[in-house]
Amino acid sequence: MQRIIATYIKEWHLMRRDLGGLALLFLMPVILIIIMALVQDGPFKDYKDHTFEAIFVNQDGGKVAASIRQGLLESKQFQLIETYDQKAIDFATTQKLIQKGTYQFAILIPDGISAEVVNSANLIANEMGRQMGLPASLPHRESREGMSVQLMFDPVCKPAFRLAITNVVEKFITKIQSDIVLERIAKLSQSAVADTGTFDIEKQLRSVGVKEISSQEKKMMVSKMNSVQHTVPAWAIFGMFFMIIIISDSIIGERLGGSWTRLKLIPGSFSDILIGKMLFYVLLGIIQFYLMLLVGIYVMPWVGLPSLQLGHSPLLLLIMVTCLSFCATTFGILIGSIFKTTNQALPVAAISVVILSAVGGVWVPVEVLPDSLRAVSLISPMRWGLQGINNLLLRECSWHDIVKPCVILLSGTMLTMFLSWMIEKKRMDQ
Amino acid sequence: MVHVQHLFKHYRNAEHPSVDDLSFTFDEGKIVGLLGPNGAGKTTTISILCGLIREYSGDVNVLGLNLKSNTEELKYKIGVVPQQIALYPELSCQENLMYYGKLYKLSGKVLAEKIDSLLRQFGLHEHANKQIRNFSGGMKRRANIIASLLNDPTLLILDEPTAGVDVQSRSMILSFLRSYNEQGHSIIYTSHLLDEAEALCHEVLIIDKGKKIIQGTPKAIIEGNDTPNLEALFLKLTGNKVRD
Ligand SMILES: Nc1ncnc2c1ncn2[C@@H]1O[C@H](COP(=O)(O)OP(=O)(O)OP(=O)(O)O)[C@@H](O)[C@H]1O
Ligand SMILES: [Mg+2]
Repeated sequence: MQRIIATYIKEWHLMRRDLGGLALLFLMPVILIIIMALVQDGPFKDYKDHTFEAIFVNQDGGKVAASIRQGLLESKQFQLIETYDQKAIDFATTQKLIQKGTYQFAILIPDGISAEVVNSANLIANEMGRQMGLPASLPHRESREGMSVQLMFDPVCKPAFRLAITNVVEKFITKIQSDIVLERIAKLSQSAVADTGTFDIEKQLRSVGVKEISSQEKKMMVSKMNSVQHTVPAWAIFGMFFMIIIISDSIIGERLGGSWTRLKLIPGSFSDILIGKMLFYVLLGIIQFYLMLLVGIYVMPWVGLPSLQLGHSPLLLLIMVTCLSFCATTFGILIGSIFKTTNQALPVAAISVVILSAVGGVWVPVEVLPDSLRAVSLISPMRWGLQGINNLLLRECSWHDIVKPCVILLSGTMLTMFLSWMIEKKRMDQ
Repeated sequence: MVHVQHLFKHYRNAEHPSVDDLSFTFDEGKIVGLLGPNGAGKTTTISILCGLIREYSGDVNVLGLNLKSNTEELKYKIGVVPQQIALYPELSCQENLMYYGKLYKLSGKVLAEKIDSLLRQFGLHEHANKQIRNFSGGMKRRANIIASLLNDPTLLILDEPTAGVDVQSRSMILSFLRSYNEQGHSIIYTSHLLDEAEALCHEVLIIDKGKKIIQGTPKAIIEGNDTPNLEALFLKLTGNKVRD
């Protein structure tokens, strides 16, 4: 025990003097978590809460085009840019501005849109009137193919963004079209339908909507899914694995510096020394993880994000984090055993952390990965760690939900320890 | 004290054997010099004697203990000063010594007093709280020796303890070795400084390419080969060719 404690204290003395290492362990993940939570907040946000700057080119002088414009303005989701350099924007200027990336997208209303919308509304109204036995009285012609409101996007825009904008504009135009149809029908029948004072057509049209409900019986504190709840644990795990750089560096440094030799010359089991070292880093990993959670709870609100909610099982969370920290520590020991110099070990350590986190669901959920990568993700400790921690933070979860991830992580720990031991033994027996 | 027979060691990835059928005996209570050009196999031989290298053939007996079966017991009785400065550069001298002392299961007052007296003996007590990386070459060597004395070894093995140190540090180290030997401890030491070895050692063993070249008291082997000093004898026996 004395030897374990002595080693623990020695590691502490080494760590507290290693400012670079401390920065890598504590400062970098804090910055990383805040940045990543902000960056990944975008896709989680409802685009309804956001105002977009959009070039608006109206080549149609008609009533419908005007009400689309009015509607877009009133919706407050779009800030319409209609002039540039104090000149009205035309098609060519739009192309230039979008290509240059000055604006991200443009809404173009081609000439004839108003006429087309009114025409198709008349067609619909006449058809409905016919079915109700009313005479077709609204003027109409054959509808023209290929008339549409056009959207132009900056090539840099992500598909998800394009889709979101397209949906918003489409929904909007559909609403205007249906308003016009209703107005036409009212005109045609002169019936009570037109009396919107007592009959709220809008409301009726939305009588069936889509609404998210909770899957949880007991009402958890996490009422709405948000980016913080996903990104903080994920990037905290990522940060924890950066410990492997420090551990492998420490092991290689001891071996090259000769301390390893001296340690082996001292009687008594070498495993005491290894256990002391391991316990130090395991505890460090746990402290680091909880520090990241504190950042999630207390710092996130400062940068305009929701606060992290910790769920209801602090003890299970501690167990889960401990297993994960053991796995990260022994992974570092393995890297330190495999490589002869830090120059070889560091890039491998850093890149393997990035790869394991990419396939492990830190960047994007494992569910959206292609099948082949999803199979690879089974060997990523990040995947199991994230699964266990998500079970605790996002779902209502009891101990049997974390047994599997814990067992897998501890098996990984034992496997890496065994491999490190084999490698070290081979090195001794050369 | 040390009895070696037909010792043979060939590293897996090496072209030639590093120790090649080496047999010798060192008597108790002596300072013995293990000498040889670069790559002669000195460090390899020492590493086998202290149990660091376990894959070898031949028979090795140290302090009456068979190496293969009694490595743990032997570790309590020997102190090894590695060729490298085997200390943590970021830790202070005191922290290094405390750590290694505790690994020997020493603690409290006993350890503190032992460290203090050794630091005084080697003139480092005023620098105890300095980090090793801020030590001079001579201070590092002295601290490296202290760390191997914490268990009061019966047999002290030193691999080039005076490499790269100034005259003052060297003289301090050598006078310590003499007095340690006078207290009844045996010492095996390697060096490339042959006048130092000639003056210090009761006996020398010269090896080259893993093979024994000559063994005896400096006086006897110098006179027996008709050379003025150990260096001349060394060159005569090992040749002028520079080693790779
Ligand atoms: N781990 C190793 N793997 C392969 N070859 C080795 C290893 N260690 C030493 N050797 C080789 O064994 C030979 C003896 O090396 P050793 O270090 O024992 O020599 P030495 O007498 O201590 O030399 P020096 O005076 O330079 O310290 C050398 O040729 C060296 O290259
Ligand atoms: Mg050597």
